[in-house]
Amino acid sequence: MNLSIKNLITFNKTPLNLLVAFITVGLLGAFVAGAVVYFLHGHHAFNVTRQHPWGLLIAMYVFFVVSSTGLCIISSIGHVFGVKEFQQIGKRAIAGAIITICSGFAVIALEIGHPITMLIYNVLTPGLTSAIWWMGTLYGVYLCFIILEFFFLAVKVDHKWSKIFGIGGLLAGLAAHSNLGAVFGFLVSRPTANGVFYPVYFILSAMITGCYLIYLIYGFKYRNNYPETLKPMLLKLNKILGMLLGILIFFEAWKILTALYGTMPERAETILYAVTNPNFFIGELLLGMLIPFFIILISNGQAIKPMVYASLTGMIGIFFMRYDLVHDTLVYPMTMLKRSEYQLPPTLLHYFPSPAEMAIGFGGIGITILGLYVAEKVFNLDPDPEH
Amino acid sequence: MARYGMALDYKSCINCRACETACKAENGVLPGRDNYRLWVGQKEIEGEFPNLSIASLTYQPSQCQHCDNAPCQQVCPTNATYYDENGVVRVNPEQCILCTYCINACPYDARYVDDRTVTVDKCNFCSDTRLANGETTTACQATCPTKVRTFGDLDDPNSDIAQLLMKREYKQIKEHLGTKPKLFYLL
Amino acid sequence: MKVEISRRRFLQGSAALSIAGGVSISPSAIMASAEASAKPEDIGKTKIVATLCEMCVNKCAVFAYVKNGVIKKLDPNPYFPKSRNMLCPRGNSGLAAIYDEDRLKYPLIRDGEKGSGKFKRVSWDEAYTYIGEKLTKILDEEKDNRSTVAFCAGEGMAEHTFKNFYIGFGSAHFLNHASLCLATTVSGYSLTIGGYGQADLENANYVIMAGANRAEAIITPDSMDFFKRTKGRGAKLVVVDPRFTNTAAKSDKWLGVNVGTDLAFVLALTYVVIKEGIYNKDFVEKHFNDFDTYKNHIISNEYTPEWAEKITGIKADDIYEVARDFMKHAPQSVYYQGRRTTWSKNDFQLRRAQALFSALGGGVDIKGGICFGKKIPMTGHEVPSPIYDQAEPRIDSTEAAVVGGSGTWVGFRNKVLEGRAEYPIRALFNYKHNPMQNMPNNVKTAEFLKKLDLVVTIDTMPSDTVMMSDVVLPECTYLERTDPAKVYGGIEPSIVQRNKVVEPMFESKPVIDIMRGLTQKISRSLFEITKKYDEEVQDTIKEEGEEVAYEEFDLTKAFESTQEELNHHAVAKHVGAAESLKEKGVFYPNMDKWFKKLNVNEYEYYPESEKAYSVRNGKLKTPSGKVECNLSSLTKRGIDAMPTWKKEYEMIIPDGQFRFVTGRHAQFTQSGSSNNKMLLDLVPTNYLWINKRTATRMGIKFGDELEVASKVGKTTIKAYPTEKIGPNTVFCIHGFGNHSEALTLAYANGGNDSNIIEDSIEPMHGATCLHDTIVEIRKV
Repeated sequence: MNLSIKNLITFNKTPLNLLVAFITVGLLGAFVAGAVVYFLHGHHAFNVTRQHPWGLLIAMYVFFVVSSTGLCIISSIGHVFGVKEFQQIGKRAIAGAIITICSGFAVIALEIGHPITMLIYNVLTPGLTSAIWWMGTLYGVYLCFIILEFFFLAVKVDHKWSKIFGIGGLLAGLAAHSNLGAVFGFLVSRPTANGVFYPVYFILSAMITGCYLIYLIYGFKYRNNYPETLKPMLLKLNKILGMLLGILIFFEAWKILTALYGTMPERAETILYAVTNPNFFIGELLLGMLIPFFIILISNGQAIKPMVYASLTGMIGIFFMRYDLVHDTLVYPMTMLKRSEYQLPPTLLHYFPSPAEMAIGFGGIGITILGLYVAEKVFNLDPDPEH
Repeated sequence: MARYGMALDYKSCINCRACETACKAENGVLPGRDNYRLWVGQKEIEGEFPNLSIASLTYQPSQCQHCDNAPCQQVCPTNATYYDENGVVRVNPEQCILCTYCINACPYDARYVDDRTVTVDKCNFCSDTRLANGETTTACQATCPTKVRTFGDLDDPNSDIAQLLMKREYKQIKEHLGTKPKLFYLL
Repeated sequence: MKVEISRRRFLQGSAALSIAGGVSISPSAIMASAEASAKPEDIGKTKIVATLCEMCVNKCAVFAYVKNGVIKKLDPNPYFPKSRNMLCPRGNSGLAAIYDEDRLKYPLIRDGEKGSGKFKRVSWDEAYTYIGEKLTKILDEEKDNRSTVAFCAGEGMAEHTFKNFYIGFGSAHFLNHASLCLATTVSGYSLTIGGYGQADLENANYVIMAGANRAEAIITPDSMDFFKRTKGRGAKLVVVDPRFTNTAAKSDKWLGVNVGTDLAFVLALTYVVIKEGIYNKDFVEKHFNDFDTYKNHIISNEYTPEWAEKITGIKADDIYEVARDFMKHAPQSVYYQGRRTTWSKNDFQLRRAQALFSALGGGVDIKGGICFGKKIPMTGHEVPSPIYDQAEPRIDSTEAAVVGGSGTWVGFRNKVLEGRAEYPIRALFNYKHNPMQNMPNNVKTAEFLKKLDLVVTIDTMPSDTVMMSDVVLPECTYLERTDPAKVYGGIEPSIVQRNKVVEPMFESKPVIDIMRGLTQKISRSLFEITKKYDEEVQDTIKEEGEEVAYEEFDLTKAFESTQEELNHHAVAKHVGAAESLKEKGVFYPNMDKWFKKLNVNEYEYYPESEKAYSVRNGKLKTPSGKVECNLSSLTKRGIDAMPTWKKEYEMIIPDGQFRFVTGRHAQFTQSGSSNNKMLLDLVPTNYLWINKRTATRMGIKFGDELEVASKVGKTTIKAYPTEKIGPNTVFCIHGFGNHSEALTLAYANGGNDSNIIEDSIEPMHGATCLHDTIVEIRKV
């Protein structure tokens, strides 16, 4: 561990590095500004309403915890399941998992109205039928496990304990993450969300996100000049990602078809709105799924540099998947009646994040990048010699 | 103890919105924006002048349905939403963390964020105002010009509401979701 | 206009507003003032006071809950038979009226140009002195012609207190809203069946409501009784209205009639029942006077449904059906009288035709028909009503055939403006009345008020009329005063009394105190003028001395007692009445025995056998004792003796233009509540109803700002495209778009119909024609 300040602020000042540094500082500044606005105006700083109570901040929280779970799963391919090529990414991946989930918590702390009350009453009077309670508690357990796993991987090396906490972290992560899916899956009031899709889809999506993030992290670190030991991992990752994307496309296609077929009220209208929205067909579909999938298919799983770029579009697509998750499940109002004479009849709800929401939500990315940078500098995230 | 519910003879409703005003005055609900515990729903009228559908303009007084199987209670992570001894679904503002999961889970748009406590609020059958003072009517019931609402103990066979429900047919809203609402719309 | 005012901000402080003479103050100051009135022994306890609402004409009984000097809630008071244990949205919103930051607090005298809104605060004494000086000067110049000062009052429980001043003053000009509201229907039914009566909607089985929008223009007990029985639950309702109102939503049949053509509809109904002989022949034989003349009149004019269809737009089949159904259910059938019936020039004839048709079913003075009910006698008190020799007769009696004691406001105003008045009108005393908002064509009203040398307005809020006044006297709201006990007759008569809930805030006073203070100050000096010019008085002084002469002219006599004393005296002959009125706000004989709770919502006031359904004993209060078909005495005044359709009643609407109609929603009482925070929370502003297809053609969408212009003025208002109104008609509710900047919420909020309504009057009473305006619309 290298904790000197000098070490922290020295880096190779290439144009790309400077750009990323600049963006990070900007995003962090935005986060602080958004937080200040929130402390002044409370929830009135956000565009959430009685009928659309969740917005960009929930979407970004999901984005971060999905990233975290994904990195944990990919990392466990090496450390828990013993696949040799993946053992070398273990430390970096777990560091990423810790950092992303902490960013997620930072974002959600500014969304939950009373975080202190939460810490007290989640323990004193837990709502055991609440998916949010399970998700929150399990993510807490998960965070403890992966911190300990990282500790035994990078600070005080002990492979027995790291494996134990690795397995524990993976299981806790899977449980927490599917409960996050169940937050939507359990909703009786929302026909599009209710059911088995979201809990399962979340795990799938997490693995895909994990793959994209590995490409991005390693792609940024090595700038296409990869050490020989890393290449087999990246090529294997190609194949894994290809298979996962194939499953995802298939899964989503059938979800959309079954929702549209028969035009069940509430469900069909919502899905039609969702798929005809550019958020979906450009963001989720094109950027998030099709571009990476075709690159893998065309290159027969051999491309690495194109995959790094595809992972960037992929992450943008992942962002839209999270945003659409929150927005599309809320877009159909619970009552289609007017409540006063002088108004238009209710339609599908309109929502667009407020500046404060965008500042806090996207500012969280700045926290992630900063965290990854600090982790890179302080800890030795490369594989240990005996590996 | 009791099991409170409300029967609404909604065909008598003239959409004067006295119930909204009385509720706000009785329970201190703030004016403006999303702040309302009750409302009267209406559709846009069907047809073209002068051939208009009278039936399409029925008024539907709406509020929290005080479900016996409330989704909002199920999803609350801190049990801030709970059933009191009279089956009324209540919110304890001290335990509410404002995750707004309950607002998402409610199929009836009954809940909103109360700026006074910055927690979630909704109709509570005037439990902490009128009922706490020993009165037996809710503000909306008492004020209604055409006496749409009958509030009372569903488990007491001699109560007005129990008698009404035995004699009149009724419908409920979204009961197919399994929420077991305790508001009954008399046909 | 955004009305986002949180109660927290209402209770906390904000910068004090200083508009128009400083009538507005900060929110915290108004609550502090309220709390200051709490008596020490009441701190911490909740007091419950029985009173009566004044937010509209109904005077529903209220229980007001007071804690620490602040009224917390207004609840229904079940004891009043008429109000049936309920409160409408305005009743609940009385809290926002008493604690309105903009309310008048101190006497004001104009301190700038009239209409500029500049006033200076004065003491009551200074205000009275100023009024006295001005009045004596005017009367001196007019040689004690008392009628040079006109008196206007709005409807209210203390109207009669104000009227005592007018009676003592001796002017011939008393004007109130009757010519703007119900003059034609009251006289139409009274002259025909001997009384305006009360429709027994608890028992009527078939009711035709034309225009009367009882679901939104709430009247007790009609609205309470009837809508529980419609929609297949016992009674049938037919609504005849150019708009699809909330009442139409409760009906079994809605007929979208062309504006102003109801008379053709009623004449056609009459034709059908006469031609088919399905009217109540027995009743007609016993109780109709001159029926054959009317019968021949209807048949020979061929008022057939086919003829009516072309004029009214109602299908002939529907007219046959309604006529036959009405008679099938008769005598428990009612052609509902209506209330604000100032529509068109044929108003009076229309109401006569309605009364005649309704009576053809026999539903007069019986259960389920139009009942006259009983009254409970109260003891009056004597007030001076001196005769002033120099007082000229009223000038507006020339403006219509029969001008009664309430005058014709628009006729009066226009006569003065057109220079046709026989003598100058110099001053106006205005109580609880807002002619700038309620009278059509407010440009003329402003001109009229500017012409007067003295305009004294007594009001609770700085209305548009207050802004055009010379002296403004703040009355306290209804929750701060005890008002005269009043009897409400009908099928279940009762006496009711408004009891003071909290002490008057700031320097406001009830009108009885204002009148007392004013008369004490000016009575003598006014008498000096009478002495100067009135020969009769001069003679009396010579014969009996000044003090004896002055006794008759002592205006203070009417206001010597307190309201509480007067109320006590008024009900003295009823044992236990005074106590009941104080505790419960209501009294009627045998109340203790008969009042009982039926279920959680409803009460029985009179047992069925004691309800006053039939009281006339077969003899109606008409000259002949029967239903008057033919009022031949009216012809010499230019009024048709029998309802007759004239071609001129059909209004041609030029292409691309619209007929404008006005009306109400349940959330507002005309212009009086337009500044009420709680009500504006429900409906923030008014909109113009315009047909959806017409709007699409004109490129108008919901919320677009429109300019609506008529011959007399224009206003801007947002658009509300809806199919609930016809392609050539537009509508908005009355009372918005105020010009008074002192009404911070109401100022410039929405469109003002007084800007655009033309001020023609109908020939019988000079009542205004509020639905005879043609407008043009364009997007702005």
